[in-house]
Order: sequence, then C-alpha cells, then structure tokens
Amino acid sequence: MNHAAISVIKVKDTLMVTMPSDPDDSTIAALQERVLESMERHAAKGLILDISAVETLDSYFARTVTETAQMVLLMGGRTIIVGMRPAVAMTATQMGLKLNRIETALSVDRALEIVDTPPKPSGNHRQ
Amino acid sequence: MLQTLADTISDYAIIFLDPNGNVTTWNKAAERLKGWTAEEIIGQHFSKFYPPEDVAKGKTELELKTAARDGRFEDEGWRIRKDGKRFWANVILTALRDKNGNLLGYGKVTRDLSERRRTEEQIHKQAQEIFEMAVVPVVQVWEGVILVPLIGTLDSQRTQQLMERLLNKVTETSSPVALLDITGVPAIDSQTAQHLIETVSAVRLLGAEVILTGVRPSIAQTLVHLGIDLSNVITRASLAAGLRMALNILHLNVVSHDSTR
Repeated sequence: MNHAAISVIKVKDTLMVTMPSDPDDSTIAALQERVLESMERHAAKGLILDISAVETLDSYFARTVTETAQMVLLMGGRTIIVGMRPAVAMTATQMGLKLNRIETALSVDRALEIVDTPPKPSGNHRQ
Repeated sequence: MLQTLADTISDYAIIFLDPNGNVTTWNKAAERLKGWTAEEIIGQHFSKFYPPEDVAKGKTELELKTAARDGRFEDEGWRIRKDGKRFWANVILTALRDKNGNLLGYGKVTRDLSERRRTEEQIHKQAQEIFEMAVVPVVQVWEGVILVPLIGTLDSQRTQQLMERLLNKVTETSSPVALLDITGVPAIDSQTAQHLIETVSAVRLLGAEVILTGVRPSIAQTLVHLGIDLSNVITRASLAAGLRMALNILHLNVVSHDSTR
C-alpha cells in the first residue's frame, strides 16, 4: 500500500495529520494504519486531523475517520478534527453523515488547547 | 357558424357587443366564467362586468373608444362575476366593422387568469422573503462571538441560506461561538426545529459551538410538546444569558469597575 500520501507528525505528545485535498480510498485506508502505528509508538494523547484542504467528504471517509477516532480513543487518545470547510460541513449535515464522538476545532491552536484539557464525559458537547 | 365556434371554446369567454357596448351574444364559457346566463345578460351593458370604481372612472367607455380607434384593446385587470366575486382577467376587445368601415360592434374575449395571478403573487411573496433573508445580518458582537438574529418563518430554503452564511462567517472570523437568536421567529414546528438542529450540527463540525437564544415560554412549550430533543444544544431564554454563556465558553469574565457593586 502506498503510504506516501499521508504523513503523521508528532508534536510533543500529539499526532498531527494533514489530509490531501482529494483523498482516494487507499489514502484514507493509509490514514488509519499510520495513525494507529504512531499512537502505539509514541503513546500520544491525541490526534489532530487537519481537513482544511478537503473539498468533499464522502461516506467512506466519514466512516473511516469515525472508526479511527474510536480506535484512537481505545488506545487512550482523543481525535480533534480541524478546519472543516463550510461547504463540507453543510453537505455532511444534509447527507446525515455522522462524525460521532469526534471533537472539532476551528484552528490547530485551539485543537492543541483541547488536547491539553481533560476530556469531557459527553464527548464533543459542551454544556 | 361563429356562434357554434364560440360555444365550443371553453376556456375563453367570447361575447359580442353592439356599438354602444350592450351584449348581443354570450357563449357557454362566458356563462361559466361570469355566472350570468345568456337570457339574463343579453341586452345589458358590459360595464356590469367591471368593478364600480372602474366604471366610475370611465374605463368601459375608454376601452370602447380605444378599440374603435385602434381596432383592438387589450387589458388585464379585475372583473366581476354575477355573485360579486372578483377575478383577474385578460381581456381583448376587437372592433368589428363592415366592408365600408362602419362600426358593427365589438368582439370581446375574456380569459380567467386568477390562477396565474395567484402563482405570481406567491412567487413575488417568496422572492420578498428570500430578499429579507439575504439581508439578515450576521454580526460579530465580541471577539470570537457572532450573532445571527433570526426574523420570520424558517423554511428549508431559508435554513440553507442561513447555514451557508453562518458557517462562512464562523470560518471567516474564526469565532468559536455563534449565537442564534430566535426571538423574532413567530412559531416553531418540528421541521423548523429539525432545521435548527441541522444548523447546530454543521457549525459544530467546524469546531464552533452554537447557543440558541430567545427561547420564549411558548417556544419552550411547543418544543417539549412536539417531543423535540434539544438536549445537545445549548439554549437560553434571552440573548443576554446567551452572551454570558458565550463569554463563559471563551473563559472571559465581565467585571464591574465599581468595586462596591
């Protein structure tokens, strides 16, 4: 499998991944593998997934991201999605795509702050 | 022959008038459209079909004169049925002359355009609403807090536009909190609530939070009675309470300068 399209960067104890603009299925599959490998190797506290370049979010991508987030959670980390485009968010909502139990942030800065705060029991819903 | 032809046409009221404007023939469609039978109307002046205010303005005389002068007169306007109800009609008045050019009378073709007019009015109303929606402001009330005051009924189309504007503004200003104020929304039904929930989910995907403010008692009652679950949405009764909550999310405190207070 070609893993070149995905690179996982470790910053302190957080993993950062930037998705390419039009990820194909093998890139998406690679994402999961690389992330989980890195989680194991670095015992990271969280994963920040920057999708600001992504223009369309299909159901396969959404599902893989949700699954990966669950796996990361099982390995003791949090997943924060950063930079979703308005158009993508709108399509995702209208298509009923669910990104359950995934936290989101407007910027990587904010995501780093979230990683440093203790997780809230209710997932991404601040009350 | 002409009478037979006129009688077989069902969508157009075709009548003939004498040079003074009195009805001389009356087809079946005219009967259906205007309500009078041939016996009742033949010999009567055609001003009977016009609203009194138009007759008072001399509109019927003007129409005859114009048709006589130009050969033809076309008009769209309100006309009256026998029962007094108004309908929106397209009327074509044609002057009929003999070989020597003497005026024999007029042919009058009337078409009921009420349906079309209703559609036009509806389209106009919707266009107006869309225009009003387009000027709904999305304003930044604090660093990191934007406010959308919603006014009027929310349908799918408006929600779509609202979502678009709101999401773009959240990204543009990189505001972690958006206040969605529904004080100006007259009533909420399950569909409207669904639209609001969708908007909230979309904003969350960007990494921002929505606070729904202006939940009046009547709206709170409706939401509970309809069984709409907004437990995942932060809601507040007033905009002030919502703003306080927003500042709280941003870890900001409002402190009075006067320490005695």
